[in-house]
Amino acid sequence: MNEISLLMNLLSKKGYNGQLGAPKEEILEVLGAKDKNSSIYFQKLLVQLSNYLQPIGMQIRYNPLNSYWYIRFESEISELISANPFEGKPSLAATLFCTLIYCLKSSGNAYISEIQKARNKKYIKDDLKELELLGYIEIRKETEQVKLTPLIGYQLDIPRLLLNTALKVKD
Amino acid sequence: MINHKDMSLELDNKIEMIKKDIISGKITLLELELSILFNEMENSINIFNIENYSATYKKACQILEEKFEELKKLLRLLDDDKKIINFLKKKPEDEEICSLFDHCWYKNFYIEDLSLNFLTYAKNRYCKEKASNLEIEHLIRAISNEQFLIEIPEQQFIEKLDIFLDGIRDKLPCLFEQIFDGENDQIKIYEKFIYLLHLLQQGRIKYHKETNMLYL
Repeated sequence: MNEISLLMNLLSKKGYNGQLGAPKEEILEVLGAKDKNSSIYFQKLLVQLSNYLQPIGMQIRYNPLNSYWYIRFESEISELISANPFEGKPSLAATLFCTLIYCLKSSGNAYISEIQKARNKKYIKDDLKELELLGYIEIRKETEQVKLTPLIGYQLDIPRLLLNTALKVKD
Repeated sequence: MINHKDMSLELDNKIEMIKKDIISGKITLLELELSILFNEMENSINIFNIENYSATYKKACQILEEKFEELKKLLRLLDDDKKIINFLKKKPEDEEICSLFDHCWYKNFYIEDLSLNFLTYAKNRYCKEKASNLEIEHLIRAISNEQFLIEIPEQQFIEKLDIFLDGIRDKLPCLFEQIFDGENDQIKIYEKFIYLLHLLQQGRIKYHKETNMLYL
């Protein structure tokens, strides 16, 4: 047992509410690294583990929605094992896109009314309920708002989606 | 693999092709993978052909600079969320929005159950052994008048030698390896080997190199 095997376990553990991996603070605590150079130590360990994982098609990633580090399969392998949960459901994907854009625009929460307006549809509550069932969003009935959950940050490469969007609006 | 063949002309041609493809719109600067070009340059350059490479390097850097400029423009676009909202206001088709998710989905790797005992064990262990706090200390040289580093009471060692010799006497003559037959413990094998060396040195056992035989 060494630091790498411990890190492998921490980054691949499944927690509650779809949480995966561990935050930096937890990793450093478990490894007993508390001195001033702990961040450098942490970075070195991640690089070392990454070197082991790369040849077997996995990579270490950071979820910006909950600041957790975790392990995922690289793009090509993910496509082979059909990671896209919206295959054949373009309407649901479009509702998720609008939800994402409005949530990210206003620091995490978005009004259902503005998503509805962006979607140009009279009724989007079924889509939102399905997204909630999939675990991607939380619907707050009292304020008529929706909130993103950390799960979407694990499964979706948000920076890449924004890049694709920027390329699209550029045209 | 490092190849020292002069590839400057070949790389020049590649750069020209890239430029043509960009101008004709066949590829975009953002899609362009420049690391392959720079790797080829790095692996084929040496002190004998370095002069031929300066122009090639300059041209490759120009493309890289243009790629940076393109990336800067794209980042400015990302910063402006109005453009994305305007895109949505144009009422794009669901399929068009859905295509933005292409190559963005990933499968995660996880372990369903993690043993808490393991974590506690690991935590206790690593709290004591911190790799980042290791200090290198110089060793203090031991002063000794003896020639051998390992000090073993002489009488005891000779007794052990005699016991060993008595134990193998019936086996001899035999092949060198046969002395260690049936012994799996590495420490015991090492111990027997040491006894054997001493007995050979003392001339109490003899060894015939050609036949690999030990005999009295």
